[in-house]
Amino acid sequence: MWTEGSGTEAPRGLKPAPLLGWLVWAAVSALGAVALGAVALHRGEPINSMWLVLAAGCTFALGFRFYGKFIAARVMALDDRRATPAERLRDGHDFEPTNKWILFGQHFAAIAGPGPLVGPVLAAQFGYLPGTLWIIAGAVLGGAVQDFTILFASMRRDGKSLGEMAREEIGRLGGFTAMVTVLLILIILQATVALVVVNALKGSPWGTFTVAATMPIAVFMGLYLRHMRPGKVLECSLIGFVLVVAAIFGGQAVSQSAALAPVFTLTGTGLAVAIILYGFVGSTLPVWLLLAPRGYLSTFVKLGVILLLAAGILAVRPGLQLPALTRFTDGTGPIFGGKVFPFCFITIACGAISGFHSLISSGTTPKMIERESHALPIGYGSMLLEGFVAVMAMIAASVMQPGVYFAVNSPAGVVGATPAAAVATISSWGFPVTAAGMESLARAVGERTLFFRTGGAPSLALGMAHIFAGAGGRAFLGFWYHFAIMFEALFILTLIDAGTRVGRFMLQDMLGHVSKPLGRTGWIPGVIGTSAAMVAAWGYFLYQGVRDPLGGINTLWPLFGISNQLLATVALCVATTILIKMHRARYMWITGTPLAWLVVVTFTAGWQKIFSPVARVGFLAQAAQLNAAQSAGTRRLIFNDRLDAVVCGVFLVLVATVLLDSLRVWAGILRGPREGV
Amino acid sequence: MKRLKEAGALLMALLRELADESAYRRHLAAHGRAHSAAEWRRFSDERLRARYTRPKCC
Repeated sequence: MWTEGSGTEAPRGLKPAPLLGWLVWAAVSALGAVALGAVALHRGEPINSMWLVLAAGCTFALGFRFYGKFIAARVMALDDRRATPAERLRDGHDFEPTNKWILFGQHFAAIAGPGPLVGPVLAAQFGYLPGTLWIIAGAVLGGAVQDFTILFASMRRDGKSLGEMAREEIGRLGGFTAMVTVLLILIILQATVALVVVNALKGSPWGTFTVAATMPIAVFMGLYLRHMRPGKVLECSLIGFVLVVAAIFGGQAVSQSAALAPVFTLTGTGLAVAIILYGFVGSTLPVWLLLAPRGYLSTFVKLGVILLLAAGILAVRPGLQLPALTRFTDGTGPIFGGKVFPFCFITIACGAISGFHSLISSGTTPKMIERESHALPIGYGSMLLEGFVAVMAMIAASVMQPGVYFAVNSPAGVVGATPAAAVATISSWGFPVTAAGMESLARAVGERTLFFRTGGAPSLALGMAHIFAGAGGRAFLGFWYHFAIMFEALFILTLIDAGTRVGRFMLQDMLGHVSKPLGRTGWIPGVIGTSAAMVAAWGYFLYQGVRDPLGGINTLWPLFGISNQLLATVALCVATTILIKMHRARYMWITGTPLAWLVVVTFTAGWQKIFSPVARVGFLAQAAQLNAAQSAGTRRLIFNDRLDAVVCGVFLVLVATVLLDSLRVWAGILRGPREGV
Repeated sequence: MKRLKEAGALLMALLRELADESAYRRHLAAHGRAHSAAEWRRFSDERLRARYTRPKCC
């Protein structure tokens, strides 16, 4: 065994560990093995959530200590004597050497979005076991490796972006494909997360008022920061937080008011239109007025809630009510169609491996690293922490009674349009639930109904409220539920406004080659036109999801998962190419193994989404079934299914192009004379 | 107690970094300027322009 340091007999950065180190790590290994065994083998009786916490904690600690350090020392040969871009190019702005733990927190705040929270909740339809094992293994062997290697590569290339590295290391085709892939993913991502918000707020005056109130609060914060107390961001965010909490209480009053409740009770379509308008306004208004204050507030609330959830789970140590495996591993699940392989592995993307992280790892972070060795905790460690967040989300979903979980997450099109039909269907699956029980739960959290709330956010909020209320009394269940809804909606809307703006810039960048004025970010007609185009693109998919009788999330989330993991495929292609060019071909299995796994998973999932003969899985099969039914209104659904099939096919073709291009480059390097880096 | 204070200081430093307050201080020091409303707006505009051209993570 080796520890960090320097020695002559061991590879650089490694030295023999003392006996105590051996004993400690042996104990962690034994505890991790027991916990994993308990999680994997326990059947029948509910198990305590601490087993999941222990299994993840011990595996992540071992992964960081041994695999991460192995990659750092043997493969990357991180060297603190080598000046980082932050030191060499220091400019007080982008390039600035930053304390390791501060940068760790900043990087983690940047990579942690709604994905690791919502994905595990949806994948819980297979039971807690498949998702948990995938999060643990995927984060250690895939996600953390991708984030770390891309961060390292960007750090050694003066902070270059993934697109620039793809262009330089693989070729112009790779760079262009990466850019188009990112733009398409942005469109699908905005639509998917917007649908999560729509389904969480539909028919909920309390939630709608609270989330609507965050907008004037953000504008007030923007004006406060700009004109009243310039530079006082923390002070301003604290005021914003107090106002948002006040808005949650205000929302309760609104929901009980005969005059105001109907005003804030919106249908799915109404909410979708409101969010589309918000995305357009957010993309065109000055950033300081709306986006930036929301962004600051969202970051602090996000980190606070994650800490609160961790503390709540440790304090309450709830038992898991969901079984380890459900019958829906066979592909007949009500939340989304498809078997546990490959769909569990694309439903949970961000908690295990997320291509989007590679954009962050090749963005701000590499420009701020003080020492090369810091790339290990920041790149590898942050992803493990995100994996931990995903495990917490899985726990939050699993503490609910399975019948309640399925009643909340199943669409009316699958379980029946009335509460009576839904409980009968869900109970017939072996997950007993009653309409009266659901009504009582809805009343306890201040909602009219909790049936058919697809998208994951309401059930996550219920799970979180259950945990928080367990620590602080059930009287506050309604407050905690709406606090969780506000938290999810706040940072999802932050993602939407920022994403629309970024998409607009990317579109302007592309269109600038066709017409110069369109490329100018200050030309108002260009700004309005490209913002409208971007909003129309994701708005169409959102609208399609809202109108989908099967809930929409069953279509959009797999599409998002596939696209996100295909971006990870591009990132791992870049990382593998760089390893080969660094004369580390013997270690290419480190990035090659998760790459191969992702290729198998995403291409299988993509193929099934297009061509599966099962209508609930394959887009074309569903279109054919609708075509045969020839009922009113099916023409639009048929068109949507075909469009989704085309989008999925485009993703697969784009990534196959990068993959084949990479294989060509690898073969060329491995056959011919090697270049140094 | 000392450890606790150190942890608190680190947490505050992280919050200031996330809030761009530390970056603003560095900006003032690097350019030898004093804090003013106009200076904050100049710094903030430049920083936000760069930040909001990059996609946020999902």
